[in-house]
Amino acid sequence: MDDITRHLPLAPRDLLILAVLAEGPLHGYGIIKAVEARAFQGVHLDPANLYRVLRRMRALGWLAEEEDGGERRRTHVITPAGRAVLRAELGRLEALLAQARPAVTGS
Amino acid sequence: MAHDRVVVALYAWLTRFLPPDMQGERGEMLEAFRDLASDDRREGRGGWEAWRRLAALPPVLAMEWLEFMGVRPAPGRHDRIGIGRGSMGWFRNLRFAVRTLRKAPAFAVTSVLLMAVGVGAVTAIYTLVDHVLLRPLPYPAADRLVAVDRGSHSGPLFQGMEEFNGVEEWGAARTERVNLVGQGAPARLELAMVSDHFFDLFGARAQRGRLLEPDDFPAPSSVVVSAEAWRRIWGADPDLVGRTISVNGHSLTVVGVLEDGFAAPEALVGRQVDLWLPLDWASAELTQHDYSILEVAGRMKPGVTLVDVQDEMDDLLTRMASVHGNYTDRDGSPRVLPVLALADQTVRSVRAGLGLLMGAVGLLLLVACANVAHLFLARGLGRTREMAVRRAMGAGTGALAQQLLVESLVVGIAGGAVGTALAMGGLRAFVALNPTALPRQASVTVDPGVLLFVVGVSAATSLVFGLLPALRSMRGKLADELRGGGRSATAGRGTGLLRNGLVTAEVALSLVLVAGAGLLLRSFMAVRAQDPGFAVAGVWTIPINLPEPDSPDAYRETMDEILRQVAGVPGVRSAAYALTAPLDRTGGSRCCWRTSPSVPGREAGDQALQTMMHPVTAGYFETAGIRIVAGAGWGGADVHAEPVPVVVNETYARELAGSVSAAVGTSITFGAMEARVVGVAVDNRHYGLDQPVGKGTYIPVERLPFPITLGTVMARVDPGAEGSLPATLREAVWAAEPGLPIPTVRTMQEALEGSTAGRRFESVMFGVFASIALLLAAGGLYGTLLYMAGQRRKEMGIRVALGASRSRIEGEVLRRGIAVAGLGVVVGLAGAWGANRLLESRVWGVDRGDPWALGGAAAILMVTAVVASWLPARRAGRVDPLEALRME
Repeated sequence: MDDITRHLPLAPRDLLILAVLAEGPLHGYGIIKAVEARAFQGVHLDPANLYRVLRRMRALGWLAEEEDGGERRRTHVITPAGRAVLRAELGRLEALLAQARPAVTGS
Repeated sequence: MAHDRVVVALYAWLTRFLPPDMQGERGEMLEAFRDLASDDRREGRGGWEAWRRLAALPPVLAMEWLEFMGVRPAPGRHDRIGIGRGSMGWFRNLRFAVRTLRKAPAFAVTSVLLMAVGVGAVTAIYTLVDHVLLRPLPYPAADRLVAVDRGSHSGPLFQGMEEFNGVEEWGAARTERVNLVGQGAPARLELAMVSDHFFDLFGARAQRGRLLEPDDFPAPSSVVVSAEAWRRIWGADPDLVGRTISVNGHSLTVVGVLEDGFAAPEALVGRQVDLWLPLDWASAELTQHDYSILEVAGRMKPGVTLVDVQDEMDDLLTRMASVHGNYTDRDGSPRVLPVLALADQTVRSVRAGLGLLMGAVGLLLLVACANVAHLFLARGLGRTREMAVRRAMGAGTGALAQQLLVESLVVGIAGGAVGTALAMGGLRAFVALNPTALPRQASVTVDPGVLLFVVGVSAATSLVFGLLPALRSMRGKLADELRGGGRSATAGRGTGLLRNGLVTAEVALSLVLVAGAGLLLRSFMAVRAQDPGFAVAGVWTIPINLPEPDSPDAYRETMDEILRQVAGVPGVRSAAYALTAPLDRTGGSRCCWRTSPSVPGREAGDQALQTMMHPVTAGYFETAGIRIVAGAGWGGADVHAEPVPVVVNETYARELAGSVSAAVGTSITFGAMEARVVGVAVDNRHYGLDQPVGKGTYIPVERLPFPITLGTVMARVDPGAEGSLPATLREAVWAAEPGLPIPTVRTMQEALEGSTAGRRFESVMFGVFASIALLLAAGGLYGTLLYMAGQRRKEMGIRVALGASRSRIEGEVLRRGIAVAGLGVVVGLAGAWGANRLLESRVWGVDRGDPWALGGAAAILMVTAVVASWLPARRAGRVDPLEALRME
């Protein structure tokens, strides 16, 4: 896999999608519900946009598709590469927070 | 909830426009959207969440297409279809498309030309519309400029208007043709006399010297020269300012030269003005109430509306109406002079005509597009096998669609380019041939804005009419097509319907155009069939414009001398002169002297008595060929009789006395002049064949109460004497009045042609567009039938082999063509009946449902359809069964 860091920082929406998929495979509708439920405030995902993002992530090798047994719908599964990107982004954000927090709490 | 269903349906419809390689995910997208919408409702979030999601779709669509076409790099796209990456793919597709099209030159050239004809026609007319109708006028605060409708206005009325609260400043102008002497050959110049705010109103500046100032107005002797005249006549002489020039016998001092490019509104001063003089407010014409001579415009104060100005105008006219009868209407109420935006007044006369042509070329573009669609459809069907092979070799649907898209864009761009060239040539021809000069037409060129329009039109048409049919060709089942069944099977039912639908539409659209052309032609013929009431053959007219005479007698003396010379020309049987000859003024204006006399037994100021006054010489009726139907004209000695002998036309006679014969002997008082009707002349269409006759009174020119400068000499000549007549007539005028410019010497026949040239031009333009549309529709029908016959060759071969007669096969193809065209004719007739409503204001003496125009158009279309079907039918009938069967 290529150097992960060149994909960072992730767009908040991408981060959320990877995060909800890290907890288990979901289909499109499920992703939207999970992201919107989890979002801090008012992140709206519309299906067309979601499928754009999903396709891009699939192409980058972060996600894979699975046929979902009896149902027609495909579910989306995070790949090891996807987890690596998610981890890298979270690490980056945490480092950022660690540097920024004293400025607030210390005042 | 119905509301939900609407959102879901809209979303579903919009997602249909996703690029082909996204279509696989459409089902899931829709399902997710539907579920989300029902969640929202269940959780009481109301409907607007769904609408927000819907609103996010169009930008996504745009991005998807940009990526799909390779305009934007898109990771994860095209990788799996193996053709092109990012912008490289775009470029490679372009090269590939050009190569493919070069291998099919007949298709490429035909479709490019079809596009070019449609796009070119639309572009040419759109350019005119843009320049003439859409652009703001080139004056400061042009949106606040207003004009006052209903022709020219009197001096006192204008002075009343200058008191309006809602108007910053008014400008007034009257124009005249004058003769300039002392500067080489005598020249005829266009002169405008303007009020003191005129130049401010239109933001004019001087490039030399100064413009007119208030001090110039009492006893005017200053003149401003236009930049164009300064170059043309004085060779851009830098010392012109301060010099004295002689105009119509007056000495005027040049005080300034206008800046380059300044043009006052044509509605006020006409197309060209060489000299600008101050209006002489002390002159007799400007102090009289019944001498309407000023064209006016003004600028409203900011925030004032047309309605406010109209209110002030209505008040003013109410006040003026009590002063003079010229300000009252027929029924005695104050006249209403509509105040309207100057921009509207400038273009009003041509708006309907241009709109009409725009409609016509729009229809033409549609027909051309239908034909392009045909071609792409046929080509797509011919290529199903090629596409199937390429798909089997691993090309993705997306890549193929992308390539077809580029192909149709290339056709569209080439068509647009050729169309622009056609438009530029056509535009020049149009402006040159159009007899009714368009306002602002000098500025008409094809410019960037128009080019943008061309690009838009050609890209949109090529995409819609090229790509969609092409995409159809990729729908088939791969295995079927590879098996080669494509040729033996008839084309899919859907495709056949589409083709028939296109032909039906073409026929219908063409019929609308042909019927429109027919209606205009019928109207033109109806106008020409009018009996003018005056003689057309063998009558020549010479317009005269004298240097301003001091008195009516001075005018008459000069004119009499000219008349004597003209009458002496060999071959001239009789001659006369008048203020205006028939057809001198056409197109709805009424020049030049209108008055409301009083008649015993009628109420004073009765507007029904208003009449146009025609000062004429005694020989006028004989020379012009206007019959006297009751009483007689006046003889040479009668002209000085009291009361003044006058002749009225039949219409006025009936107004005066109820009947033509009873009118003779009626007394009329024109102001201070007592007159008596001595004869009644036959009604004649003095102001144009398509104009109502109106009420007219002929009075002896000897009794003219005020001086005039205009006149038209008429000469009736013996047949056969016409050869060098124009030159001889000019010389005769010069023998009396050396150096008098004579712009035109023409026959009444020419005047008649000229007065109907606008109508002829319109019907010719429509005819040209209709013919092209007809040709295209015929081509479409021909192509469709030929294609159908080709597809069914095998079937027909078998039937011939089994003993079916050739005429039966022929009949079948013919019937099919006629059925398709017949449906188009029915649809087209309904369309034409509706569309002709738009023509109603342009036609004269013909009903919009005119059976000749509609029936004729239907007949033309059907005959064309039979001819276009007959050739493919014959070809189908001649099928050789052996050959057809061997093809397998």
